[in-house]
Amino acid sequence: MAEPLHSSQPKTFPVKPKLKPKPRTQNQTPESKYWSSFKNTQIQNLISVPSLTFSPSSPHPFAAAHSATVSIYKPQNDPLDSPTTTITSFKDVVSSLSFRSDGRLLAAGDLSGLVQLRVISAGDDALVKVWDVAAGDSPVMELRGHRDYVRCGDSSPVNADTFITGSYDHTVKLWDVRVGDSKPAIEVNHGNPVEDVVFLPAGGMVATAGGNSVKFWDLISGGKLVCSMEGHNKTVTSLCVGRIGSGSDEELNQFRVLSVGLDGYMKVFDYSSMKVTHSMRFPAPLLSVAYSPDCKTRVIGTSNGIIYVGKRKIKEEEIEGRVSEKSLFWRIRPLEHTEKKVFRPSHFRYFQRGQGEKPSEGDYLIMRPKKEKLREHDKLLKNFRHGEALVSVLEGKNPGNVLAVMEELVSRKKLMVCVSNLDAEKLKLLLVFLRKYCTVPRYSGLLMGLARKVLEMRVDEIRGSEALRAHIRNLKRSIEEEIKIQQSLQEIQGIISPLLKIAGRR
Amino acid sequence: MIKGGQNYVSSPPAFSNDGNRVLVCTGNTVSIFSSSTGLQVSSLEGHTAPVTSVVVVPATDILCYCWTSSFDGTVRYWDFSVPETVKKLDLGMPIFSMVIPSFLGSPEENNAKTANVFAYVSVHDGKAWQIRKCSLTNYRKVGKLVLKETERPEPLIISPSGKFLGIKHKRKLHIWKLPRVESDVAVAKKITLHHTKTITVLAFHPTERTVAAGDVTGRMLIWRGFGTQKFLDHSGSNNRISMNDGEDKHGVRQNDDAESCSVWHWHSAGVCLLSFSPDGAYLYSGGTEGVLVLWQLDSGKKKFLPRIGSPLLYFIESPDPSLSLISCADNQIHMLKTPSMEIIKSISGIKPPLSYQEICESFSGKAAFDCTSGLVAVQTENYGIQFYSLLANRGVYEVQVCERNHQPADEVTVAVTLVELSVDGSIMGTVEIKLPEEGVGGLVSLKFWDLDSDTKRFSVSTVIYEPHRDAHISAIAFHPTHRMAVSSSYGGDFKIWVCKEGDIQQKGQALQNSGWMCHAVGSYKNKAMRAATFSADGSVLAVAADTVITLWDPDKNVLMAVVGETPTPIVSLAFAGKSEYLLSVSHGLKPRLSVWSMSKLAMAWSYRLQIEAVSPAIDSSYFAILALLPESNERAFKGNGIILLFNATDPVPVASMSVTKAKGGGLAFLKGDLSERAVIDGKTSQTLLVYINGDREYVIFDPYDKEGHELSIIRQDVPLEETGQFGYSSIYGELPKFDLQKDKTASVISTASERPWETIFTGSTHMLPPLTKLCSVFLESLLEKRTALAE
Repeated sequence: MAEPLHSSQPKTFPVKPKLKPKPRTQNQTPESKYWSSFKNTQIQNLISVPSLTFSPSSPHPFAAAHSATVSIYKPQNDPLDSPTTTITSFKDVVSSLSFRSDGRLLAAGDLSGLVQLRVISAGDDALVKVWDVAAGDSPVMELRGHRDYVRCGDSSPVNADTFITGSYDHTVKLWDVRVGDSKPAIEVNHGNPVEDVVFLPAGGMVATAGGNSVKFWDLISGGKLVCSMEGHNKTVTSLCVGRIGSGSDEELNQFRVLSVGLDGYMKVFDYSSMKVTHSMRFPAPLLSVAYSPDCKTRVIGTSNGIIYVGKRKIKEEEIEGRVSEKSLFWRIRPLEHTEKKVFRPSHFRYFQRGQGEKPSEGDYLIMRPKKEKLREHDKLLKNFRHGEALVSVLEGKNPGNVLAVMEELVSRKKLMVCVSNLDAEKLKLLLVFLRKYCTVPRYSGLLMGLARKVLEMRVDEIRGSEALRAHIRNLKRSIEEEIKIQQSLQEIQGIISPLLKIAGRR
Repeated sequence: MIKGGQNYVSSPPAFSNDGNRVLVCTGNTVSIFSSSTGLQVSSLEGHTAPVTSVVVVPATDILCYCWTSSFDGTVRYWDFSVPETVKKLDLGMPIFSMVIPSFLGSPEENNAKTANVFAYVSVHDGKAWQIRKCSLTNYRKVGKLVLKETERPEPLIISPSGKFLGIKHKRKLHIWKLPRVESDVAVAKKITLHHTKTITVLAFHPTERTVAAGDVTGRMLIWRGFGTQKFLDHSGSNNRISMNDGEDKHGVRQNDDAESCSVWHWHSAGVCLLSFSPDGAYLYSGGTEGVLVLWQLDSGKKKFLPRIGSPLLYFIESPDPSLSLISCADNQIHMLKTPSMEIIKSISGIKPPLSYQEICESFSGKAAFDCTSGLVAVQTENYGIQFYSLLANRGVYEVQVCERNHQPADEVTVAVTLVELSVDGSIMGTVEIKLPEEGVGGLVSLKFWDLDSDTKRFSVSTVIYEPHRDAHISAIAFHPTHRMAVSSSYGGDFKIWVCKEGDIQQKGQALQNSGWMCHAVGSYKNKAMRAATFSADGSVLAVAADTVITLWDPDKNVLMAVVGETPTPIVSLAFAGKSEYLLSVSHGLKPRLSVWSMSKLAMAWSYRLQIEAVSPAIDSSYFAILALLPESNERAFKGNGIILLFNATDPVPVASMSVTKAKGGGLAFLKGDLSERAVIDGKTSQTLLVYINGDREYVIFDPYDKEGHELSIIRQDVPLEETGQFGYSSIYGELPKFDLQKDKTASVISTASERPWETIFTGSTHMLPPLTKLCSVFLESLLEKRTALAE
């Protein structure tokens, strides 16, 4: 018969809104949370953006090519509307951009064939040329081999002399500048015109985009297809390497390939587990994507001239934590013993301990019983001030709470009394609430009946006041709309159900 | 046989002299509980009808004697430490209440009186309840003298001083001043106090002539100085004078013999409990709304212990001033720490059946049984489910189904209507309803609960609002092996629910996302479905659609067959164990128990009986039914119900037992290895039948055993005695032992000289003599002494 203490203790139960069903789909994975943590802002009023690139040096400004202009933006600026620098000395549409590794030099190529600013260029003439910036006009090398437009290329992150190019002849070729015979070291066939190629950070693999697929190739094993990602519905236009985790610790970093396509989707592909880990839709065909090396910014260029700049806030403590960790090497550690000294009864201050006194190790702690936090309407309900409770919760924002209070009033058989005692101002509040929510399926069971009762009981006041009549008109309209929706849904059901029956028979 | 589920609150309990034991009247026995652990220690068995009062003989701590009275017309004298009957007196008339005034009062008076102990009893002589006197020491017969006759039995209240005896009777209080020296012929003087409302309870002040009474409206009246004229004045000569100063008697109704009457009103519903604290400074009151109020008698200031959750019935002070006890109407006895007013322990009996049976059609007060662990789950008034251990005969725990504050006095608008446990006892389903107000806001919700494997307690897993739109749920049944359930509704459909469990890989996420989901919906000609059950292997689901039985494949949700036609709607279905027989019960004008053969899809046999409950044995083809007997047969069978045990193949019952209070009763076979706990004369039984009656008293027995052997329980949980400290030492701890010698040496001689005020400031301050001592010496020194003058 011994019962645990807590069960016999008196309790109060605050009113609670009804539980909502849990979504059937799984919760966001930490990864998709990460990718959706980029807050998008738009840069508008541009013409389609075929190329975007980030400067590798801090603070990582990015350059966007649009029509015959290259604009350089600083993601730190807010708002982003105006570029910090604009280069307009192009005669034709700029198609490709690249920063030098120190970030001081920007190469841009336009469709008129000029490369303004050691740069590799590849062009629609199916030629790949290696230029020396300092030397000037004539290319160092000319590499022939492609039979169609060469629209993309990337240099290896580990070796300064190798690079790859992708062409509309479906091939991707790996070149080595040290071998002068203008024959590619490795050649792979993508199967579709190659839109973009990118070296993965380790340098042993490349990702190529062409058609609706992104393919991953292992260069070390001589160009073996590792996997193919077929997630897009339209041509994949651009690729870049993204990184999760901003720490300097390399092991914590996970690299992902971001691909964008004309279908408006941006997909994040984890090439170690061969899975699309995140997918995001934009309202326009996407042409280019770039990801800042500090993981703070992601920019996506669209065909209709909008650049979506996704910025992620890095939490203060993350940064501070890193700073302090780093500085720990240089600074003397702070003293560990920061906690207060515990006084012993031999010390006179033992007798002057206040409430803020910290417990010593062997002390038995008796916690103050936690006070139950009651909200305004709970307090009023507890005091049996039903009408005030209803008004206070109606003034709040949460419809779930309103319903919970109404249900509680129903079970106390006080709702009708409350409604009949509301004055005109409060009645308006109730009518506004009814209009807003009485067609919501979750609430309609109670609210429809209540609306009818309110109309029956308060018909005189409503007739008398113009404002209340307006609310009633609105209420009527929303109900009529709902009825129409229901009717059309029933029509659809009528069409579908014979089909289902036929399908069931087979 | 194991009996249990007794009512603990039929009459006031009593404390033993040392305060360590609580004597509680439980049906025909008196159960003795330990007040420190709250567990039962022993019981006094011998009465053949319910025990109505227990009076502990006041003595030193070691002696444990008590008197009990019972409806069987006997008064017994017990040594409850052993426990055994010492003496038995047969009064020959049912006793409703007994008080023994001579045990009370001051001890020196007691010693003189113990020679002849008289008791006042309320007995029934065949026509009316009478208050009479009888001698307990040398008993011959109940005294002829009738103090009062009442139509209904009224409990006798004795004042703590033992001088006054009182009863309430409708709107009056009758108070007798008992004769100082008791004898068979001594007549008590009587006064009557009047009130305008029906009085529910009264209490005497421990020292003064003050009596408090509570009425049905929640008012409390306190008469001070009652009986000033009649009890004190022997001559009666003052009568005239006192009649004249009637206007001074503040608040007292005319001609009532009291000095003043004051009215206190706090309780919103009837007062059920009144008790003065032993020092007379406080008054405890409690009522239907379940709040204990502590009144300061002089100032009227109040202190509350709110939300006990049930009407309060009795308040008993223990000899230990820090401990007292409240009995609640929900069969709980709470130990109360008095100064701080907090509940420290509870003796929890099975909660009484719900008083509101008829609030809606779907309401079922049936208990659910967990056959493997021997638990029964019953609905409680405060929207919860109590789990009661049948074998240990005590409440295990409670879960709150509906998170609402229960107000016992309020109208019922929310109720838990159904509770069902799965066969292995790991899943529970509950249905609660909220009644609409003027057609607005009614709600039915279905909840599934999972048993936590560590704590062995249920926690809610899924809440489904309005599972069958606004139709009420008539039954829930669980699949015997899978995590599948079916709920049938009066709205004409049933739903199959399955619990999705996530893959093992994603255990962490699956735990959050697992829940019950609707798997299939079925209906048959839109007929109201009142019962559903799964077959023993779970392959067939039988749902009663009005008067026919529909058989479904629960996985594919395909109607397999429709069986039979009964004259009235079927309200209950059960498969007879693993056999091919299905039982159906229909109520109404033509009640019927039908047994259907599943292989032939036809009725095998049927009886025209009003069936209250059906329980199939789990492993065999036997089943037991509880049938209500027509009223004409009641006398022949000594009860209004009969339990019949059948083999499904044979319409001749195997065994039959007649029972009482069958209305609202339940039956269940307990399964599993109970041999650890229950032994029947050395041989263990695998199958035991539980019968729980309408008052939720139960009995466990072996239905196959014709002789009805006693089941003796070897209690696993031997109550541990705590040698707790008591009284002063419980608050402040043991006092240090005084060393008198040391005390003497340390004592200060305060009167050092004859004129102490001259030397007073020469010593240290803590040696200053006390002022009272100083004063007399000082005054003496000022006065000249007469003796000196004479010389």
